[in-house]
Amino acid sequence: MGYVAVTAGEEIIERAEQLFEKQRLDEDEELAVGQIDGQLGRLTGQAMSEGGLYAPRLAALAVKQAQGDTVEAAFLLRAYRSTLERFDESTTVEPSEMIASRRVSPAFKDVPGGQILGATKDYTQRLLDFDLFDGDTTDPTADWDIDDEGEPEELTNVTELLREEGLLHAPEEATVDEPTDTTRESVTHPPARDAVLQELARGETGAVTALGYSALRGYGQVHPTLAEVRVGRLPVRIDHPYTGEAVTVTHTEVTESEAVVPVYEKRADPQFAFGYGLTFGRNERKAIGMTVLDASIQLDSEAEPAENPEFVLDTIDGMDSFGFIEHLKLPHYVTFQSILDRIRSIRERQRAGDESKVRADEQPAEPPTQGASDDD
Amino acid sequence: MVDPHDRSDRFELIAACEAATLARFANDVLEDDPPLSVRQEPRPQLVMQQVREPVQRQPFNLGEVLVTPAEVELDGARGFAMLPGKAERGALSGAIVDAAVAGGHEETPTIVAGLEKVADRRRERRQTEWAESKHTAVEFESMEGQQ
Repeated sequence: MGYVAVTAGEEIIERAEQLFEKQRLDEDEELAVGQIDGQLGRLTGQAMSEGGLYAPRLAALAVKQAQGDTVEAAFLLRAYRSTLERFDESTTVEPSEMIASRRVSPAFKDVPGGQILGATKDYTQRLLDFDLFDGDTTDPTADWDIDDEGEPEELTNVTELLREEGLLHAPEEATVDEPTDTTRESVTHPPARDAVLQELARGETGAVTALGYSALRGYGQVHPTLAEVRVGRLPVRIDHPYTGEAVTVTHTEVTESEAVVPVYEKRADPQFAFGYGLTFGRNERKAIGMTVLDASIQLDSEAEPAENPEFVLDTIDGMDSFGFIEHLKLPHYVTFQSILDRIRSIRERQRAGDESKVRADEQPAEPPTQGASDDD
Repeated sequence: MVDPHDRSDRFELIAACEAATLARFANDVLEDDPPLSVRQEPRPQLVMQQVREPVQRQPFNLGEVLVTPAEVELDGARGFAMLPGKAERGALSGAIVDAAVAGGHEETPTIVAGLEKVADRRRERRQTEWAESKHTAVEFESMEGQQ
């Protein structure tokens, strides 16, 4: 690939940028960052998830700056984080510590702790609500008669229930003290499971969904049953520098998904395999897609795209794919000139060959030479 | 029970407190111009959130969380605070508040009362959110044998 420096005039580039900024303005009031943070949480959640940086207010700013382009917003967040120092790693948190606002189990009807729908429109029709044109700030829950439910309960992970029944293998001794950090070390293949989970957690939502879907559509062996899907907040804890005690700085809103995959036909002891998904923000589609991919990658096969860790991890990252795909629109004059020269040269040689062949056909045939090959 | 006199509890309450409230407390503390040195400038930094996935129970890095830590020494007492997000003013104010309570500054009763309110609001918010979620609890019923 060839690159060449081009000049187009700084002033012209500034004009193009000003025209872009103008598109954000209209007759209505400018959209405030706080409004984006408060009302478009799915969008900011996606930007944080794909950017690998939990910072709701800056994510809202990034979404505003990118005019709603989530991958561009995630890019802005990653660029910002690259300028910052790492304070430390958090203490390791257990997902069971999640303060869940939603938990459904498609596998177990009578799951302990109950099926909590939380805030969702999953069970309603997807119809345009024309009333929103006029706007309505009335709280539809204002007249709820809510019982005092006390402190939030920790909801037992469904995997624990399966493990109690012996349907899920007991975990081996933890072999990882310090997990791989793919923001600091390149992923090598075959990748460690912790690296796979980190890369999937910050994968691009569309890519995670599409590759997960490919496994379900027959390009893979994994068709899981979801043990549970949860949305809630996970504590971020550090060791306090004075007391040494683990203290909570904040909570991150996350979406978690666990799936069981029957593997009884492949093992002497019939048990379930599993898949796991966890990502920043409210993004159930991505968490479930991640779960399918985690389960698929554990098969470590090159037979199907979703089961090939190298294929999945090489294509899942939004920054990588965004950068490579979109760089194609930048000047490629040297590359294209080189391709043009090559094609012209080939055509020239072909034309010369055709002409000499015509001349040769017009000559009387010579006797074949011993040992001549057609491969020339 | 959360105790603002306890350093760890106070850290969590300061982290959950509004930056404007912390700034107000810090201004009150600094009104008599006590000796103050900034040991760590408030600058946004990253904490990598590590989670133990529940099946193989191996930790992995979920992603980084933006935080702003700061550390001060106020009249011989050290104070440390960390606020979520990009919050330089809030973090510095938080560190001053932490040091003030640690050193028994005269504003301590006011600050402690303010932090207790933060604790109350945090608990109420959690309980309300939990109650709202529980209000959507459903029992799915299988429909075997029904036409």
